[in-house]
Amino acid sequence: MSKGFCLLAQNNGKTDYLRQAYALALSLHKYNKNQNISLITNDTVPKEWQEPFDKIIPIPWSDSAENSEWKIENRWKVYHASPYEETIVLEADMLITHDITHWWKELSKRDLFFVSNVRTYRDELVTSRYYRKTFDSNNLPNLYSALHYFKKGDVAKEFYTLLEIIVNNWQLFYTEYAKENYQKWCSIDLCAAIASKILDNEKDITDPDSFVTFTHMKPHVQRWKNIPENWTTVIGKYYRNDGNLILGNYLQTRVLHYVEDAFLTDEIIEKLKNESKVLS
Amino acid sequence: MSKGVVLFAQNNHTIDYVKQAVFCAKKIKKHLNLPVAIATDNVSWLLDNYPYYKNYIDHVIELEWKECKQKRIFHDGTMSNRDLEWRNHERGTIYDITPFDETIVMDTDFIVGNDIFLNAFLTDQDFLIHRHITDLNLERPDEHRFNKISDRSVDMYWATVFYFKKTERTKIFFDLVKHIKENWLYYRLVYQIPEVTYRNDFSFSIAIHLMNGHQRTSWPHPMPGKLWFTTDVDVLVKMEEERYLFLLDKKDWKGHYNVSSIENVNIHIMNKFSLDRAISEVLTNE
Repeated sequence: MSKGFCLLAQNNGKTDYLRQAYALALSLHKYNKNQNISLITNDTVPKEWQEPFDKIIPIPWSDSAENSEWKIENRWKVYHASPYEETIVLEADMLITHDITHWWKELSKRDLFFVSNVRTYRDELVTSRYYRKTFDSNNLPNLYSALHYFKKGDVAKEFYTLLEIIVNNWQLFYTEYAKENYQKWCSIDLCAAIASKILDNEKDITDPDSFVTFTHMKPHVQRWKNIPENWTTVIGKYYRNDGNLILGNYLQTRVLHYVEDAFLTDEIIEKLKNESKVLS
Repeated sequence: MSKGVVLFAQNNHTIDYVKQAVFCAKKIKKHLNLPVAIATDNVSWLLDNYPYYKNYIDHVIELEWKECKQKRIFHDGTMSNRDLEWRNHERGTIYDITPFDETIVMDTDFIVGNDIFLNAFLTDQDFLIHRHITDLNLERPDEHRFNKISDRSVDMYWATVFYFKKTERTKIFFDLVKHIKENWLYYRLVYQIPEVTYRNDFSFSIAIHLMNGHQRTSWPHPMPGKLWFTTDVDVLVKMEEERYLFLLDKKDWKGHYNVSSIENVNIHIMNKFSLDRAISEVLTNE
């Protein structure tokens, strides 16, 4: 079966997601041999950023997020756009810090998999529910779509078809399934959680004890007492010459969801570019 | 393999750590029956004031007296405090100066109340140190403040009491502690420690973090048993054999206390003044 990573990236007025996707692809190649990576985008990809990708795929049908800042509305299309039978979907603002090729063996046991526990930069389990109040109040599965997997087939197709409907009618579904601590914007995590609740498949599509997880850098989950607006302003980052990334004195050994674009300096990209096997 | 306990005792102008060490050694003899060494820069004070010390202390290791400019505030309950020298810079030398192959090192204000530490010698580990502590004062807010060396920094380990055996790894560890002490201003900044003063707990915690390759691992394992503690805003009122009676700082009521007692435990008593008063009573008949 063909396997590969899919990254969906659409620039908005503030953030160059293509640049983030380029860095993510470089980091994937750096630590993982012979991996397929596809970029799904309608933006023009600079020639020098195309190299780490096997395919650059236009967003299917029309751009549903044309007038949106957060560009959530196209996320459900990944299932339809992916050229692989098995796909790991990663959000663009992530970096790979180690070899994750063994994940394929684990994930292949399932039709769908979403991460449901995440870690701090100190590799502690995130226990804060600061960003998850809606999930808790409405008894919804604690899914993180930033890193998920699907195998093409009836199960995943049913899920994504429902996800499409929920994303396109999110206010209606929120009112029905997430009315407590009502969230006034569409998020793919919440939509996926609602889809899972409707399909009653939480136990099939996630495992809180799974080693498939990532480090989430949102400030409120870091077990800090004094919480800054941006984590990048309060802890040091060192991209060492040996290729290891240190955040706040901790070696990063998981997939890093850095969230804040300020983290991704040109220096980091340049180092990734030099170290990436695909370009050597 | 020789086994024993080493106590560091370096007096300042007010606090008699040597006296604490003599009392601490007395408790060690009673509960652990191990040889005890005192490492001190106040040997003549020991000989002159505690001539009976040989009943409890087997080795005297003389440390070079060095001027100390580091100060910290020592409380005696919530209503009294003094700003005094804090002479705590020699802990990293333990690997070189211990007369034992396997050593337990203790603060002199750490009182042994049972024999649980003997289990440290039964493990195959080369270094044991407490990661977590247990506050006798259940009202004390936010125990979490002791979980890391600062809000955004690394896990806290307690150099109050630890065990090590001489291995290549522990030699590197204590050399690293010395290096951190010598470059404290640098490490303080890198590890985001607001306090200026050098503290063994911090240098040990940083050294453990570095030895683990900037990651959390299962090394080192904890010492056997719990590390109980009271802070210096609590007051030790009385010691009756292995039972200690405390006045514990009452939350939101400065100058008010709750009475509490505990017995047969190993406990770190940080109020040096009240500990000194209690020890004086116990040592009266020596």
